[in-house]
Amino acid sequence: MSRKPAGVRTEYIETETGNKVARKANLVGTQHIMLGGKTVIMADAMIRGDLARTAPTSSSSSSSGTAPGSNTAVFIGRYCFLSKGCCLRPRDASTRARHADDTPSAFTYMPLRLGDHVFVGESAIVQAAAIGSHVHVGKNVVIGEFAIIKDFVRVLDDTVIPANMVIPSFTVVAGQPARIVGEVPEGGHEAFELRELYRTVGNNPQPASV
Amino acid sequence: MASFTPYAYIQCPCVDSVPGSRSPDGASTPTSHSSPEDDERDFDPRSPRSNYSLYPIEYMLYCEDCHTVRCERCVTEEVVTLYCPSCLFEVGNSSVKTEGNRCTRSCFQCPICIGPLSVQSLESTPAAPEPSLLSADHATATGPAGPWILCCSYCNWNSSEIGVKFDKPQGIFAQLSKLRSGYDNHHSRYTSSGDGDTYPTKRDADGEPGSTKARFASLKSFYQTQMSNENPNSGLGSTMDYGYGSPGALSRIMSLYSGNTLSSAKPKSKPTIMREADTTKEGLFPAKLDDTSVMSGLRSAGYDGTATRAQVNVQVEEGARFATDLWPIPYVLRTKRTKRCPSCRHILSKPEAKVSNTRWRMRLIAGNYIPSITIKPLIPVGAPGGPTTHLLTPVKPVQYLLTFKNPIFETIKVTLATPAVTPGRFASKVTLLCPQFQIGANSDDYNLDEVLKDRDKDPQRKRSDTTGQQVEAGKEWDSGRNWVSVVVEVVPSSIQIEPKPTILKKLGEVDDLGPLREDEDIVEIPIFVHLEWEASADQVTGKDREDKETKEKKELAYWCALGIGRISPE
Repeated sequence: MSRKPAGVRTEYIETETGNKVARKANLVGTQHIMLGGKTVIMADAMIRGDLARTAPTSSSSSSSGTAPGSNTAVFIGRYCFLSKGCCLRPRDASTRARHADDTPSAFTYMPLRLGDHVFVGESAIVQAAAIGSHVHVGKNVVIGEFAIIKDFVRVLDDTVIPANMVIPSFTVVAGQPARIVGEVPEGGHEAFELRELYRTVGNNPQPASV
Repeated sequence: MASFTPYAYIQCPCVDSVPGSRSPDGASTPTSHSSPEDDERDFDPRSPRSNYSLYPIEYMLYCEDCHTVRCERCVTEEVVTLYCPSCLFEVGNSSVKTEGNRCTRSCFQCPICIGPLSVQSLESTPAAPEPSLLSADHATATGPAGPWILCCSYCNWNSSEIGVKFDKPQGIFAQLSKLRSGYDNHHSRYTSSGDGDTYPTKRDADGEPGSTKARFASLKSFYQTQMSNENPNSGLGSTMDYGYGSPGALSRIMSLYSGNTLSSAKPKSKPTIMREADTTKEGLFPAKLDDTSVMSGLRSAGYDGTATRAQVNVQVEEGARFATDLWPIPYVLRTKRTKRCPSCRHILSKPEAKVSNTRWRMRLIAGNYIPSITIKPLIPVGAPGGPTTHLLTPVKPVQYLLTFKNPIFETIKVTLATPAVTPGRFASKVTLLCPQFQIGANSDDYNLDEVLKDRDKDPQRKRSDTTGQQVEAGKEWDSGRNWVSVVVEVVPSSIQIEPKPTILKKLGEVDDLGPLREDEDIVEIPIFVHLEWEASADQVTGKDREDKETKEKKELAYWCALGIGRISPE
């Protein structure tokens, strides 16, 4: 992440790749956070990059998916929007060791991946393993450990997604625990686009078009 | 209640076609009856039927051949792919026919909270309060070993609570169904391994009948042997065919009705009457009239031990009454579906067949063909001179901006019409200040869009600055390249329930003085939208005479219901 030095103390730091990161955002372990570009991180949003996989000696060769940044804790795609007070937190793999199918490993963290056009609502807590592209996560949502959310999913406000849950594409989920309450209609795909929203925040926000 | 987002719903034309299609033989009466007064007929968004025809524009599809919108209720659907929503594995059509519409792998939902269940190993150590932590430590030391249980990470339910344990961590569905049917037949414990005390003993005493599936299977085999004994020649027993059309069965039925006449040729003087199933092995399910065990169970388990209605409804088999009767629920399969126009059978939307692929081969959505409508107050809430609450004050006029955005590449002429007062008990007055306007064409060019937006911005700014600007009747409030905003003025009625003055009453009209019904305080305006545009003629002819630039006039009309806001109660 390269930062552009700004003379005046602005509200956001805007990077070369178009990321807009609020100065009041709470980013821990920035070297383990990968932003795809054009991502907005609002004030008080927290990303726990320090929860990266610690020792590559243990068993990283078997589990690491990508060669560059095998030490990265949080991958975030393009045009993501992290609202105020949300928290992205990779989960420690020790909880996974209790699952039957997993080979036991040392105490380490699984990386958290967000696709493109992912909106994370206010005060949402994300501990998922992976979130696909075009996903809307509402306010006060809790996404449990190792949940997998596929593309074009809408998580309504105050939903609690249990650990290990898989949410298929084109699904609307709500409730505690989350249950599938509907399908995303064919005409509703464009509503997930966050390009417009990206323009409306930052140091010189553009007015939303009609 | 506090927040209300204005909405615009579009009425699907299928609502009119339903009564006609219901009686195709004596058809003419409903259609001919309604057609003369078609123009006068107002649309009431509050009528119970309207609920089923009003959709947000995102939910609507558009048929290019019929030139009309289609809703999800009137399209015909075809299943493209069936897949499990949990493991995302595709399930073949044939296996759905034999195995049913549930995932036959290891995907289960918690019977208590419907969260996902995961397979975990239950160590031979006795079930401690926190078995997961214990077994985790053990797993790291020795590697996971059976027996296995299904655990819910949300409510901490696990299958050992109903005495279900598995020998292998794979193929849970098969193991579970074996346990279930095995238990049913032998009235034994679900699992072969482990200690016996976890299993609730009251069930043993009960002699509870088998699962529906097992009962059906035994009944079927019983009656098949009965039928093959009865008519060995017809060969019914071996095949799945029930053979009602076969001559053997026919003669049997005839002999039942007409006595001995037909079967007299046979050596038997009288056909043996078919015996009904009379033991549980044959599939008999005696009605349980003795409720003492249920009552004692209720007494010991209490209300918390019973299954809630919601829990019972999601069970695969019915009849569960206690929480201990609840089994893990295999995930119901989900589908990807093609949608077709009900009248011309053209495909309106078609997803890619693969589960992981989220693209669409075809997607004719209404949003690409008809203008979208957005509603916002002319003076935003909290602005100087504007309202202070989101609620509408009765009898105080309030203006709203309706913004129509044109998605097509032609200029559209829009004509709006609305009844002067909203239907329903609380009639608010509605005035459309500009019922006729034109929306410019949309353009594909992204750069052009950007340039024009800058140009558009200036008048827009000017408008929003001068809030005191007079709203002129017959004029658009604001417009851009492919959008137009018009003002609608609403005078909300009071929602006090009081009898109507006698002078205003029609003959025989009775006052409805019931209490305020749900959402009756919402001002909902029915608006008739009529669109007219010139499109290049159909593609076939257009290709032939491209030079002539044949233009064809198209029109489309539909009802909308605009939800404006709630009226404050005082």
